[in-house]
Amino acid sequence: MSIKLSEEHMAAIVRHGEAAYPFEGCGMLLGRQEDGHKVVVRVLPVANTREPEAKHNRYLISPEAVLTAEQQASREGLDIVGFFHSHPDHPERPSDFDREHAWPWYSYLITSVHKGQAVKTAAWTLSDDRGAFSAEELVQTA
Amino acid sequence: MAQVMIPTPLRAFTGGQKTVTVAGTTVDDALSALTAAYPDLKRHLFNDQGKLRNFVNVYLGENDIRYLRQGATTIRDNDMLSIVPSIAGGAGSDRKVDHSALRTNQAFIISLLVLAFIADVKALVAFVSAVMLLGTAFPNLGLFKAVYLYILKPLKLVRPDVRVDNPEPHLFAQAVGGVFLLAATFSFVAKVTVLGWALSWIVVALAALNLFAGICVGCLMYYWLNRLGVPGFRHARIQQNRA
Repeated sequence: MSIKLSEEHMAAIVRHGEAAYPFEGCGMLLGRQEDGHKVVVRVLPVANTREPEAKHNRYLISPEAVLTAEQQASREGLDIVGFFHSHPDHPERPSDFDREHAWPWYSYLITSVHKGQAVKTAAWTLSDDRGAFSAEELVQTA
Repeated sequence: MAQVMIPTPLRAFTGGQKTVTVAGTTVDDALSALTAAYPDLKRHLFNDQGKLRNFVNVYLGENDIRYLRQGATTIRDNDMLSIVPSIAGGAGSDRKVDHSALRTNQAFIISLLVLAFIADVKALVAFVSAVMLLGTAFPNLGLFKAVYLYILKPLKLVRPDVRVDNPEPHLFAQAVGGVFLLAATFSFVAKVTVLGWALSWIVVALAALNLFAGICVGCLMYYWLNRLGVPGFRHARIQQNRA
């Protein structure tokens, strides 16, 4: 599978990661499935609800936030198709901690932010056996 | 019969169904019935101990069952259970160092070397050198760290102090200390006793600087070599700017 998003969506993700620095910024991707691909329709930045001491290398999106977003998405005929978060001063690769906490199918977009400047964004999905993350094709449309 | 709402990522394991009807009078019964019908769901919902994973939340209507009677919460016909993900993650799990383990290591090194000097037991210097070099080559075989991990920490005599940090510079610092003590050992063998003790005291001084002032000279060397681009020193200091 691949995930498609517009330049504008990508810019919103990057801005959020930079604004959150030195903490991790995070959010949700609402969209729909088209021909087996995920297409992002809306980028929804959310509060990182981890405690202040952990926010520089952890993020948490509460189930209430997920539930609310799911209900909102469902009213618009959309689904949560994935999540995004930033890695301040770390590569855009998922950590073991990311993998332990990941769900299958969802796209996980990670933006590396070095000294406050976004460097790169990559998309990942968890394998069905939970063993590994694999890179997912990130298609940017105009 | 209650209904269970399946979140999008898990629908692949329920044959694409959004809701599944299950039998049972409690939440536990309902989830058992669900995973019995769709066994592939199990590893995504439960950990190896058979408990709900931390980031898997079950809601009865609008309420998190953790705030009700958890698995024992009773359900009635037509109740709606929802499986709701909380989303967690983040960088840095691989970049953590327990500084309490480091300090225990330093305290042992200082104590044993001072003891070696006072009691004039040169073999003890060789022993500390061996422990440090072995602990560098095979971090899991660090004897003093093992004392911390298996005795001091479980007995709560020393509290863990886990920080975002690179372990490599600390290993490098230990290697430098180990090499100094190896040189000291050779000096003793060559009967250059003064040099042997001088080298040992340098290690004591550096370990004490680290233990009492938090200044790790070996780490400073490591980061300096990193800035010079010396191969093998690939980790730069982790910036921990706080807003």
